[in-house]
Amino acid sequence: MTQKIFISGMHSGQNPASGLGIARCLRQAFPDLHLVGVDHWQGSTGLNAPVLDEAQLFPLWSQLDNNSHSRQVRDWLDEGHLWISATDLEVHWLNDHVGPHENLFAPTQHAVEETSKPRVQAVTELESMGFRVPEYIPANLPDGEIHRFLRHNAWQCWLKSPYHDAKRVTSWGVFERARAQLKQNWKTEKLFLQRTIFGHEETIAFASFQGELVDAAHLTKRQITPEGKTWAGSVQPLAEDLRRGLAQVMRDLKWNGGGEIEFIRDPDGVRWIIECNPRFPAWIFGGAISGINLPGKLMARALNREYRDTPARGAGFTRVVVEIPVQESIGLPWLSAQTATEWSIDGKKGKGGPSFGSFVPDLASQQDEAESEASEALLPPPDLPPPILWDDVRGLMRNFQEATPHRAPLEGWLKQRFRVLSEKAKKASPNSPKIRVGYSVKTSPTDFHLAQARESGFLAECISQAEVHRAIQTGFQKNEVILNGPGKFWPQDQEPVRGLHLVFADSFEEWETLITDPKGPMARGMGLRMRVPQVHSRFGNQLDDFENFDRIAKSLKKFPKTADLGFHFHMPSWAIGMRRWQEAFQSLLLWCQTLERVGGIPVRHLDLGGGHYPGDLPELDFPAIQEAVREALPSVVTLYFEPGRALTQDTEVLVSRVLDIRRAPDGSLREVVVDACVAELPLIHSHRHRTYYAARSAPPLGLPQTEVLEAGSVRILGRICMEDDILSPGVNLPDSVALGDCIVFGDAGGYERSMSYVFGRG
Amino acid sequence: MSLGAVDLRHSFPTESLLRKSPSESQDREAWLLELVSGEEHWRKWLEHPASELLHHDGICCAAARSWLLAYARSMEISTLGNCETRAPAWISQRWEWGPSPWPMAWCELVKRDVLDCGVFAVLAREIFRAQGISAHPAQALLHYEETCTQHWKQLWATDPRATFPWVGKRMVYHELCVLELPDGSARFYDSTWGQWYHPEPRAGHGAILALRSECPRLLKWGGKIFQHGDWVKL
Repeated sequence: MTQKIFISGMHSGQNPASGLGIARCLRQAFPDLHLVGVDHWQGSTGLNAPVLDEAQLFPLWSQLDNNSHSRQVRDWLDEGHLWISATDLEVHWLNDHVGPHENLFAPTQHAVEETSKPRVQAVTELESMGFRVPEYIPANLPDGEIHRFLRHNAWQCWLKSPYHDAKRVTSWGVFERARAQLKQNWKTEKLFLQRTIFGHEETIAFASFQGELVDAAHLTKRQITPEGKTWAGSVQPLAEDLRRGLAQVMRDLKWNGGGEIEFIRDPDGVRWIIECNPRFPAWIFGGAISGINLPGKLMARALNREYRDTPARGAGFTRVVVEIPVQESIGLPWLSAQTATEWSIDGKKGKGGPSFGSFVPDLASQQDEAESEASEALLPPPDLPPPILWDDVRGLMRNFQEATPHRAPLEGWLKQRFRVLSEKAKKASPNSPKIRVGYSVKTSPTDFHLAQARESGFLAECISQAEVHRAIQTGFQKNEVILNGPGKFWPQDQEPVRGLHLVFADSFEEWETLITDPKGPMARGMGLRMRVPQVHSRFGNQLDDFENFDRIAKSLKKFPKTADLGFHFHMPSWAIGMRRWQEAFQSLLLWCQTLERVGGIPVRHLDLGGGHYPGDLPELDFPAIQEAVREALPSVVTLYFEPGRALTQDTEVLVSRVLDIRRAPDGSLREVVVDACVAELPLIHSHRHRTYYAARSAPPLGLPQTEVLEAGSVRILGRICMEDDILSPGVNLPDSVALGDCIVFGDAGGYERSMSYVFGRG
Repeated sequence: MSLGAVDLRHSFPTESLLRKSPSESQDREAWLLELVSGEEHWRKWLEHPASELLHHDGICCAAARSWLLAYARSMEISTLGNCETRAPAWISQRWEWGPSPWPMAWCELVKRDVLDCGVFAVLAREIFRAQGISAHPAQALLHYEETCTQHWKQLWATDPRATFPWVGKRMVYHELCVLELPDGSARFYDSTWGQWYHPEPRAGHGAILALRSECPRLLKWGGKIFQHGDWVKL
């Protein structure tokens, strides 16, 4: 019988397992060994390596029958074959299902527990080894404790799973996301938070035969991939003091097989332990190149064969990427239908190294120079606003004397926005279904805006009883109100207004309350807000799950006969773009159609919500939308749109004055500070704002000119002491700018108004 | 050809084999039977019709099927940019692959977490058809080593209601779906794993040994012609 050496862990990607390295070490030490590569995924490319005599591909771990696999492994071991485990997961599995065996090279359960993260007790309790444990806490402590730990460590920590994987934590938000992700990935609550140690990474690889240290190698990492994996390093024999300590650990734990201690050496030379892995490291062949072939020495002991060290072949080792033929017996994995770009999604892929960015400016400037003379005619025209808006801005600034910061409406442009939409809806409405616009009150609830909405024939779309009352006070009738949102009955100290035009339930519970209200329907039309699959939203009734869908369908049997059924959805084209909005709309039609058929009640009202970018509003093709609705849902009588931001965002400006001008030592203009701030422009970082400049003093001839500021190199800073109070990363402000000159921020209406707050005013 | 004591000419007269001219039929019969020789369940694989879900002809199954198609439409939103082809790769992420009880009805599948390739194939077919694509059942014989097949046999043994012996010694029976394109060519889609099959020769783990289309028209794929019901060697 040919004795076989089974070596698991043949993954050979950016985060490789050590199986291939072990095989190369053994081939170098004993060319006659019969090496069998083992893995559970066809994409583990090391299976194709010519260094192997044979490859065994088992099913994915999730498809594995533990009994037959453990029986098979045990049979092989009993027959005298050897098994070197090279993955953490498999070491755990072997301990659970196979147990110790003289031919199995993997530490026992006891040894694994004694060297587990974060304490790595067996190693760190030996003072002679000089390892310290970075401060840590369990991540299932109360959040207050965790927050204190993070603060205490200057938000420089790692969240780690007990098995594998770690996420860098630099803020509370990052921590919460990392905690949720690691819990989900590893199905465990046993996460821990450990402070970051700054220093250089080193590791000690070792081989131990039945509790006796065979040899060890000390690696200093010299190049590291973005994933933190070794790419190049120098390997030295282990220092004697460490070797003595390690030998004792191996004896105590009766370690059989390979292993690795990872640590960081800080600038003071202190060694901080990171973890101890129960298998050889993936760089293990780098050790053999450097004259320390640990797997070779281990097998020499196991097989009782003579072994001679091979002299070092270099001053260290580095990895390279090589192509090899795919073995007939393995083949290539299929590409997944939807992950044609999976690799790029997966990220950096070892593209660390010299940055080419530093070369770019030279190249770019050469190109710019060459092109500038010939291409002046090709320069984009100034980004002038629409004429009416531009006239409003210039008119406002012509005799501007107000105290700043000052928010001012652009009345001509605002009326134009409302008029155009109103006419568009009226023009489309002779067709079926009729189109109604519901003005989103929350966006800008000023008297002026509400009056404009009413005069335009719009309904009022409200999200609370307070807004309903506000709409009614300004002249809307009750039956001109659409009520929506998760808190529509707030404040609760007053009876909700009844007799509304439409009301949409945000949850199934709210829906049940609405349709079984003993007082009867509170609105002419009642419906559900739908959360269509693939749409990331906290609002509405989720349709991803059949059970949710089914209970909605069944509840329609209780729908009051005196009301009309409607559905509402909100897909902000603002965030997802018009093309995707149209696809989502098509998808919504199918959901409505499905519920109509299953529930047996015709859908009369369809509310498509708002969230359109101002510039996208004209792109809404009402006739096409009407036609699609007519075809899919012939019973729909009215189709609703709820613009708010799209109508108001660019209908106001915020005027500020320059408080400070900052120049570089060479006199070039670098930054200006203005008297506006993020409190008046809370969404300054979330969308584009047109910016204008008006000099305080009149030019020699005529009135002061207002000009559009294009992108440039002068930053505009806000007046408050907040790091993010940067109102523009760069504009082409003229060098002649003077204190007191005006900088005008456009697109300052809508939520910029309604969400602004008072700050820094004492 | 080595199939023990079984007289193939009497026990395996599938319709498609008998339709051919005698010599053609014999050639085809020979390679196919040689391919499956040594496999215990070969007859069931070759004769097994593509899986279909039951419909209780009531609101339970109507609602489940409608929900699936509406869900699929939502999942197609821009998942592949502007591409016309929108394979329902999401189903292999929503449901886990594993043993399924048969027969299975629409109203049962939506409540399950684990589905077998027969159900995956039905779902993909329905979804492609809803997209307006001509989609039909297809079956495959795939090569796997015993290091895999023995585990899958055990996995299937955990559910006594999953009775079809799809796993052989070094070969498995698999279901997928075939799309009929306007130019008469085919595309094979494996919805269990969310993968398109490519006609280039494929070796090793999961190599396609033979494919069968149930499209009622002739289809071309990688230089091969697929006739309804015929197993085609690859």
